Amino acid sequence: MRKLLITLTLVMILSGLVLAATFQGLTDRIEENRVAALNASLAAVFGGDADATFAELPGSDETTIYEGTAANGTALGYAVRLPAQGYGGQITLLVGLGPDLRSIRGIEVVEHIETPGLGGRITETEFREQFVGLDTQIDLSYVKNIEPNADVNEVQAISGATITSSAIVTGINEGLAQAIPAIEGRAE
Amino acid sequence: MAVTMEAAPAKSRSITAEFMKGLVRENPVFVQVLGMCPTLAVTTSVANGIGMGLATTFVLVFSALIASVIKRIVPNEVRIPIYAVIIATFVTIADLVLKAYFPPLSASLGPYVPLIVVNCIIMGRVEAFATRNAPGISVVDALGMGAGFTVSLMVLGAVREILGNGSILGFALFGDGFTPMLVMILPPGAFLTLGILMAIFNALKANREPVLIRT
Repeated sequence: MRKLLITLTLVMILSGLVLAATFQGLTDRIEENRVAALNASLAAVFGGDADATFAELPGSDETTIYEGTAANGTALGYAVRLPAQGYGGQITLLVGLGPDLRSIRGIEVVEHIETPGLGGRITETEFREQFVGLDTQIDLSYVKNIEPNADVNEVQAISGATITSSAIVTGINEGLAQAIPAIEGRAE
Repeated sequence: MAVTMEAAPAKSRSITAEFMKGLVRENPVFVQVLGMCPTLAVTTSVANGIGMGLATTFVLVFSALIASVIKRIVPNEVRIPIYAVIIATFVTIADLVLKAYFPPLSASLGPYVPLIVVNCIIMGRVEAFATRNAPGISVVDALGMGAGFTVSLMVLGAVREILGNGSILGFALFGDGFTPMLVMILPPGAFLTLGILMAIFNALKANREPVLIRT
């Protein structure tokens, strides 16, 4: 009995030590990767300016707001990190807004667990670039199988992934409805 | 848990034979039908299949090595919890290393890396082989099984990515005229591909080794 306990305890302690050492050795790099991935996504919503810097502003519970500044000091606008309830689970989006908050500069999918090949296609450029230039003053909507009219903020849903497409549109509408007043309130 | 497992010590067998059995005769996926959860879930692309295969091989080799080295001091009654802790330790290391050095792969494999802990290939090889054989040959066995698992996942991933997405390793293969068979990268496609590959594999094996499969 004593041998059982001693062996088991020893193995647990050794395992804990090995894991603690591995974690210590890798945690900085993992954090760097996380920050680099976030910065790359933030830069991508503003057209891929790799030298831009981003400052986090106080957001609401669900949204996080970043203020972007280009390398030469001009304001790029704001990026809003917001959630959407997709088909497979939560989708996290970054929506870039111009400095006047009136138009969408671009969207990036940060995280999703949608079905590959169906809802997963939200990460494709063809889907994402539909949002560029849309008006933030009108709610977005989506259409299926017909040409969307960008003037009234329509985007084409992904064929076979209506729930995901709808989730993105709803998520952006709800997220921006919270974030835009928050940014405006801060400026005043 | 297992279909056919080697019980006898492998003294008389050559290193090559010990390695090769994992690829064909005792292939973990197509013959032993072990580790079905990652096999079905992550093989939506070749890259995922290779990544999962290599991560599993890493855990398998080190778990087999440690289990074989400590086999004489481990009390029989607590051997399973001890092996589980050892396996979980190496899985966590693999998960952290993937996160640190291969973040895109880590993101696309998602929760299936931590789930290697419960992949029965690992516990299966540790129990059936590593605890009954010397460390060196246990590592060879683990490498063979890992290679068999990796190649199987790669083939599954290739079939599913080509048919379901029209690409291989992310490079588009066909022009715009190609309509991908979406079902192939969805769960039913995993079962269909696995079933068909298993049938082909067994047919080839039956032709080549009519005697061996009956032992």
